[in-house]
Amino acid sequence: MKLRSTLGIAIGTLAIVGMLAGCSTATTSKPVGASEKDKLTIGVSFDLLNDIRNAELDAIKAAAKAKGDTIDFVSADQDAQKQASQIQDLIQSKSVDAVIVIAVNSDQIASSVALAKAKSVPFIAIDRAIADAGNVTFQITGDPIADGGLAAKEALAASGDRTIIQLVGALTDQNAVGRRDGFTKEIEAGGGTVAAQVPTDWDLTKALDGTANALQANPAINTIFIPSDYLLPSVESALKAAGRLAPVGDPKHVFLVTIDGDPNGCKAIEAKLLDSDVVTPIGQFGVQAIDAAHVAHSGKKPSPATAAVPGFVINQANQASESSKTWGCAS
Amino acid sequence: MTAPARSNRNVLRRVVGFLGEYPLIVAGLLLFFVFAAIQPHFITGSNVVNILIQASVLLIAGTGATFIVMTGGIDLSVGALMFLGAAILSSTLFGVLPPLVALLLVPIVTMIFGSLNGLAVAYAGVPAMIVTLASLQVFRGIGGHVTEQRSFIIPDGLRVAGEGNWLGIPAPIVIAAIVVILGAYVLRRTRLGRFVQAVGSSRSAAANAGLPVGWVLVAVYAIGGLLAGVAMVVQLGRLGAVQPTLDSGFELTVITAVVLGGTSLDGGRGGVIGTALGALILTIVENGLVLTGASPYIFDIVRGVVLLAALLTSGAPRRLLSWIKRDREEVLDTPLNGPSLH
Repeated sequence: MKLRSTLGIAIGTLAIVGMLAGCSTATTSKPVGASEKDKLTIGVSFDLLNDIRNAELDAIKAAAKAKGDTIDFVSADQDAQKQASQIQDLIQSKSVDAVIVIAVNSDQIASSVALAKAKSVPFIAIDRAIADAGNVTFQITGDPIADGGLAAKEALAASGDRTIIQLVGALTDQNAVGRRDGFTKEIEAGGGTVAAQVPTDWDLTKALDGTANALQANPAINTIFIPSDYLLPSVESALKAAGRLAPVGDPKHVFLVTIDGDPNGCKAIEAKLLDSDVVTPIGQFGVQAIDAAHVAHSGKKPSPATAAVPGFVINQANQASESSKTWGCAS
Repeated sequence: MTAPARSNRNVLRRVVGFLGEYPLIVAGLLLFFVFAAIQPHFITGSNVVNILIQASVLLIAGTGATFIVMTGGIDLSVGALMFLGAAILSSTLFGVLPPLVALLLVPIVTMIFGSLNGLAVAYAGVPAMIVTLASLQVFRGIGGHVTEQRSFIIPDGLRVAGEGNWLGIPAPIVIAAIVVILGAYVLRRTRLGRFVQAVGSSRSAAANAGLPVGWVLVAVYAIGGLLAGVAMVVQLGRLGAVQPTLDSGFELTVITAVVLGGTSLDGGRGGVIGTALGALILTIVENGLVLTGASPYIFDIVRGVVLLAALLTSGAPRRLLSWIKRDREEVLDTPLNGPSLH
């Protein structure tokens, strides 16, 4: 009985520790420089943490530090309800001056947007556009359709007919859908052929297996569109297993084009395994989001209220000049 | 009835009996022929190898989960435990070890974490769902801290279980086959296997009979943890990278394979071979959908319909078997000079 109750307590403690460990990490940037009244406490809520999110957080922290702001960060682990609760805590319990949010879901974030509006707390959305954009103080995202189009132009610029595998991210993610649509539209206009679409749900194993299956069904494949550098290792593994992973210039080489510009992409460009990467300018997200928080806190409206920043291309031809601007190459 | 007719009936009864025991074979063959009719590449030898490689991780993790579900338990933490194993393997602490040592140590570590689940279920009286839901958070949390939620590329030396070829057979297939055969043997032919079935059928009856119920529960969760580690070693070998969301939600796929394979969530009934068939069916569906060029929007619909159809089909041979048995009883009950039913 004693063992039983001791174990029960131990499990309870372990569960609480785990939940604390798994849920969120609060971090702050030490304020420097600015006068006390201009220093803001800004709540930052992300959908999850991975390489690109860490880089986006670093950009926000750097911009905040320059203005003397304090950052209170939480991650929702891809749980929309958890994100709503976390934002409620930031606004009501911690009384932050503004919130910067990457929404888990662009529709389900509506209640948080309404709460921020009711409490007169500026709500700034980055990376993923919010459906209820009219009530958002400021929104800055990439331009997924333009980025997909840029990726397609890179593929079409390669010599010879293009027979393409198109990987698709989660179909509930507007960035994934936008990248797919932009790519498809441009490829169709340019006369390329998408031989197979591979749904991945942003899952590495699905990307690996799906690519292997598509290569199996279409031996003539010579191009793969990967909608995020996140999935690049899976595609490389599938090509390696099929005996088709070869550097640029090798007759066996399969043309690869991705989006994001993360460290994986940067290393693959350097290793001559990746042809082109459409780089998302995430540094601008951080600077403009913090600027917008200050403008809104001073009682003005940021103008324009929304911004969609298209990416730029780093490829084998321009990597020497573009790598310094690519966030993944700097980390 | 003539001797050849009786012999034919015996063969039919054996075939139907076998299919009654493993009804998913019918569903699997149906699926196989449908996809093969639509896409000729589907039936090639290289694609069959492809399917087996892709099913390997699910086969291994599913074997471990079968032991747990057979006791009436459940493990919601298997995906998180695999992520934790991957995080540990990618950590600098393990980076200094020779690759083979690191690959062997990680499943032992995950086995220890798995047995903690078992201790909680067996001796703290907490329902398995609650214990493993909590440990899911704990394992993913620890993994997140170890990796700092960043991605890592795995060195080639650690990819042998995913990329290697042993005696000309891809390593994932060899490992999965060994695990499935061993798992089926342990569950059917050993004392532990009989204890697992007894505990799953009735925990209180097993305890009254003097069986070490607590240790059986710890053992099955330890086996589940060990095989989660082995599955992770294979998976990481194939993927070549650790990402923060690795295997998020994989537990549902594992449980689906186990249940599809005929193992009862109430425990006591089922087996590893059924789970293996379930895992293969799930993989065949994924493979076939990509090969036939299905729209990404219909993937979920087809998955759901196939699951339902497989479950319905799996009931058909059982019903046929019971019909033949009933028919046989009627024949035996008929007076010798009475009318023949056939």
